Amino acid sequence: MTDDSGSIRERGSAALDRLVDATAAERITISLASLVFAIIVGAVLVFVSGFVADCADPFIYLPGLGYGCYNPLEVYWTMLTGSFGSMTVIGQTLLQTTLLLFTGLSVAVAFRAGLFNIGTQGQMVLGALATALVVLELAAYVPDNAIGMVIVLSTGVIVGAIVGGFWGMIPGLMKAYANAHEVITTIMLNFVAIGIAFWLVQVHVGDLTTDSVQTETVPAVARFPATISGSRFSVIALIGALLVAAGIYLLYTRTVIGYDLRTSGIQETAAEYGGVNAKRNIVTSMTLSGVLGGIAGAIYVMMVQYRWQAGIPPLGFDGIAVSILAGNNPVGVIPAALLFGSLKTGSVAVDLSLGVPGELVEVLRGLIILFIAMPEFFRMIGKRFGYGNGSVATDGGEAQ
Amino acid sequence: MSPDERDRRAATGTPSSVHLDGITKRFPGVIANDDVDLEVERGTIHALIGENGAGKTTLMNVLYGLYEPTAGTVRIDGEPQTFEDPGDAMDVGIGMIHQHFMLVDTMTVAENVVLGNEPTKWGGIVTDRARANRETQALADRYGLEVEPTELIEEISVGEQQRVEILKTLYRGADILILDEPTAVLTPQEVESLFDILRELIAEGKTIIFITHKLGEALEVADEISVLRTGELVGTVDAETATREELARMMVGRDVLLEVDKPAASRGDLVLDVEDATVEDDRGVVAADSVSLGVHEGEVVGIAGVDGNGQSELIEAITGLRKLTSGTITFDGRDITTDSRRSRVSAGMAYVAEDRQKRSLVMEYELRRNGLLGRQHLRPFSDGRLIDWGATADYVDDVIEAYDVRPTDPSAKAHSLSGGNQQKFIVGREFERDPSLVIASQPTRGVDIGSIEFIHNRLLELRADGKAVLVVSSKLDEVTQLSDRLAVMYDGDLIAVVDPETVTENELGLLMAGERPEDLDLDGARIRGTPA
Repeated sequence: MTDDSGSIRERGSAALDRLVDATAAERITISLASLVFAIIVGAVLVFVSGFVADCADPFIYLPGLGYGCYNPLEVYWTMLTGSFGSMTVIGQTLLQTTLLLFTGLSVAVAFRAGLFNIGTQGQMVLGALATALVVLELAAYVPDNAIGMVIVLSTGVIVGAIVGGFWGMIPGLMKAYANAHEVITTIMLNFVAIGIAFWLVQVHVGDLTTDSVQTETVPAVARFPATISGSRFSVIALIGALLVAAGIYLLYTRTVIGYDLRTSGIQETAAEYGGVNAKRNIVTSMTLSGVLGGIAGAIYVMMVQYRWQAGIPPLGFDGIAVSILAGNNPVGVIPAALLFGSLKTGSVAVDLSLGVPGELVEVLRGLIILFIAMPEFFRMIGKRFGYGNGSVATDGGEAQ
Repeated sequence: MSPDERDRRAATGTPSSVHLDGITKRFPGVIANDDVDLEVERGTIHALIGENGAGKTTLMNVLYGLYEPTAGTVRIDGEPQTFEDPGDAMDVGIGMIHQHFMLVDTMTVAENVVLGNEPTKWGGIVTDRARANRETQALADRYGLEVEPTELIEEISVGEQQRVEILKTLYRGADILILDEPTAVLTPQEVESLFDILRELIAEGKTIIFITHKLGEALEVADEISVLRTGELVGTVDAETATREELARMMVGRDVLLEVDKPAASRGDLVLDVEDATVEDDRGVVAADSVSLGVHEGEVVGIAGVDGNGQSELIEAITGLRKLTSGTITFDGRDITTDSRRSRVSAGMAYVAEDRQKRSLVMEYELRRNGLLGRQHLRPFSDGRLIDWGATADYVDDVIEAYDVRPTDPSAKAHSLSGGNQQKFIVGREFERDPSLVIASQPTRGVDIGSIEFIHNRLLELRADGKAVLVVSSKLDEVTQLSDRLAVMYDGDLIAVVDPETVTENELGLLMAGERPEDLDLDGARIRGTPA
């Protein structure tokens, strides 16, 4: 017994070591294998669920079990065609992907610098509101042509960035100068942001002609031009998002500023030793994260909703999952956002066209994310506890 | 032990108190212990020495139940044992006294001693403090450990805290005590009293295993000395007949020069001039009070003292990591009192920080990234905006090679290196940047003897090149051997500046404890001003 438990423990450690040390190619292989497993598990789940559901048109009868309603192959096929099957759905997938890229990068930028920004949602909500209000005002003063559109769209993005950045700066300041942990403060500031936005729109700046809590609709000059008919997706926003991903990658791998930002967040005392104003850099990292959250909000208003409306979807929270799935790598955020975006769009199709309950589709989606994220998650945990890279310090010296 | 002795013992059938039989401990990619045989007799002190990474701590962790050996058997009093965790080891009477004390500061000595095994009254609801105090006192008296059971931990000295740790282990019924580098934090006087305690303990039939770097201590207090090198047991020798040179050779595998060979100093201009510096610690308490100190080109100034007497704060103020409350700092003739850390680094100030894992290294970064730390804004490492990873890699490769950092892989994370290798890397990184002033705080803490020799020689080479060197160390032999002038810091004051050639260890020990021997020349003014 003793030997068994020992070897299990050691096998576990060895597995963690290997996971932490995995190369990029190995990690991609692991992710693909996880996807296959998630689909197999999900298929079984859907198949079994079909026997307890009622439907007019069962697809299978098994003696002793009864009628099964759901065909797993059909479910997954619909999910695939529902996200990539036509230009319209591809547009929807890319629209979601663009938004998730910004929120995912928002989380990743902070994470790279050792900070956990849970506040992307709040930064996005406030950024979105600021953008909506400013472009509604500004649209009246610009010509109704391409030049006007460039002015309004860029102003809208900048305003969203500023307000989101400001909202991200607050927890940064609290972290740097009052030692308040950013996880707590950003979570709390989400509630504050959503509350403020709701109150402002309901009481002061909203469209008072309707009962719903929303602003007026922005005019055409303040809308990203749609690239694909049937979808509001605009390739301009996607290109912008990809450029930001590349920029952040370069920031952290090539530039002195990125090195300073990262060092400050990871180990403040060492950053000070390295001649860096660590506190200021912590504020900068959180602000930068907020800027990206705010831009997500601006894009949401000018590409998706065309106004600010209460109940903005939890893209900011999805961004956390996207970032973790990507191992907080700004380039990895691109496929992660695409996966999330396509699952989101595909789920809608399964729900609508197959009559499979939305909740069950959510479970399938959750399984895929869970399976793919778990190895990365364990990798992060393993790293945190010093596995990998022959990290066994057989040191007889003084621990510090 | 000699073969004869082994035979005799086998014949009489007295099993050793501790018998590690062919212990191998393998980690992925590393053999930390390779077929190590170690026998320790009841009632003896056994010193375990070896360089960093030689496998001493791993071996003791096997004995203490923290690791399971890959192969081999642990026998206690002849009985083979399997430990799932340290609790199992404790049950058969093995106790470990870690280097970093695990005591609750706000509780009394007795409360700490009985913690986890408190005597209770009223049917187990309330701790019986009176009994805890009584039992602690009785235990202390029995083994000659002077403590006051009702005092708070935060109010007693480090030496006393260590005694509390020992008592705690004894209270839990330990027969075999493992001490990991127990003298690192003690003054020479406290070390002596620790050794007295250890002798008392073995007289009472306890068995002691003592991990140390310090050859002198091993020779002084141990009965037998085992030497580990790269995971293998090189040999076990009798402390009576062994010599320092022999042990050093066994540890390193070659001859080691134990004494530093130091040519006469040729002092040049004043490089660093600290005048009336007052520095506060994190709590706002004055840690260094009106300290004046100068370091010239081509000389090594040492600061000795027990940890926590203001040296750290003073050094942080000089290096720009802490603000001065009052006073001035001049560097190369320029007033840098209000300069940022970055500008001091740019001006040529190299700094090996005392707490390497907090300050000098980013533990999550690879060595390559760590090689940049402090110089990321300067050529050739960057143009101020973009990092030149090629130049950085070249520099890091050079440091790794020249300072024998292991593993030699520049993409190894800092936390994966042993303490000694971390230190070698930092020392290399700082020394090779062509500084005009080198400040080294505890430069060889946790570093093995071969590397100590190397670091000392590098410091003296820097001195010969006309650099100014300031060394802070709690190791007396280190500061006395390296320094041209030696300052002693006690309670925030530079209480004396002595000539390291003539001062005795005893005098230094007294100075470090805040007492001024009467016949000692304490010319405090000599630390500053023009060369004598």
